[in-house]
Amino acid sequence: MELHSAWFSTLGAPLGEGEEADIRAYLAGLGLAAKLPTLLVESWGQAAEMIRNPAAEWWAAEERERVRLEQRAKLDPADPQWLALTDALHGAAAVAAARGGGADPGLIKAAAGSATYAVYQRRLAAAAGEGEAHPFMRKCALFAGGRWPLGLYGDRFAIY
Amino acid sequence: MSAHPEVKTIEEFKQQPAEYQDAVRKIVRSHAINELYGAQVFDEPAIALAPTPYAKWLTCRVAMEEYHHHVRFRTLADEIGVKAEEMDTKNKRPLNIFEFPLKTWEEFVVIKMLGDLAEILQVEDLLHCSFVPLRNLARTTMPEEKFHAQFGKDFGAELVRTPEGKAALQEAVNAFYPYAPHFFGSAKSKNNELFRSFGIKLRTNEDMRADYVARAHDVLTSLGLKAPDLAQAA
Repeated sequence: MELHSAWFSTLGAPLGEGEEADIRAYLAGLGLAAKLPTLLVESWGQAAEMIRNPAAEWWAAEERERVRLEQRAKLDPADPQWLALTDALHGAAAVAAARGGGADPGLIKAAAGSATYAVYQRRLAAAAGEGEAHPFMRKCALFAGGRWPLGLYGDRFAIY
Repeated sequence: MSAHPEVKTIEEFKQQPAEYQDAVRKIVRSHAINELYGAQVFDEPAIALAPTPYAKWLTCRVAMEEYHHHVRFRTLADEIGVKAEEMDTKNKRPLNIFEFPLKTWEEFVVIKMLGDLAEILQVEDLLHCSFVPLRNLARTTMPEEKFHAQFGKDFGAELVRTPEGKAALQEAVNAFYPYAPHFFGSAKSKNNELFRSFGIKLRTNEDMRADYVARAHDVLTSLGLKAPDLAQAA
């Protein structure tokens, strides 16, 4: 799956129905309101501004699920192949930022870090025996399709 | 100018005197272990402490870079014959800096700002190392180490904008900074003398420590913070 991904390639483009469905399933799977309005972020600058706001409720929901899964499965963060993938994600974020008119190194690394976390969550869910309907699978599918899910801010789910 | 001729390959390394080989192995092993410890006890736990998604994801990326540094040093360690048991932290303790009990985001910011500054000095000292694979590894990791220290400074600059943030950051400096100078080893280290005689390292531990203290003071002053008195803190 990771080799056939379009990391950060469709940032800012209109969402398709499948992506809308992934967002709803992801939120519902975490126990969050599935029908929250989606905010489509249109630029790196807007994304930078958005993610500098706290998003505690959403983050806590993800972390509860991560902790639950880590009781059933463990991954090695120093696995060389895994680290090579995280570098590829960093490269993809840097290329996308260059195409989009540039972003600062910190924002590029944050984008890479968010994709890294999403792939880690996906791998963790898979290792714990969860199927493709799991919320971490759905979130990672959004990343793999070229999106950057930014999280839940107030009553809106932001995605670039 | 190095006191020892350049050793350009692993094959050449294997032809060096045993003393040279042991000296290089010590340094590579130390970096491999310390990079791993740093990622495990500071960077990865700090994701949970970070206040915003931006800070959390940036911390996540930094953690991955630290893990990658560990893997790079460990790979070189394998190539130069460091035994697996010597890489085991049960047999080789990490530096005492890693015993600092991380509890807050402000402490992590200080660890990046001042702890990674110490790492920068250590890596700088290898940029002209006589063992070229280690030299190149130092040159590869240096840009990321610099980013990590800048990460600390940037978030530190955000925190000092409010009186509460500045007070919390100063408190974190007071707690962490006394650990940092120990990062450079003892004043009359036989190992350091050996490293310099082989052109593996350039400077004495005392020289590096004095440079570190001066540079750390500059960073703290630029943020309106004070360095605690190390003599009193010791």
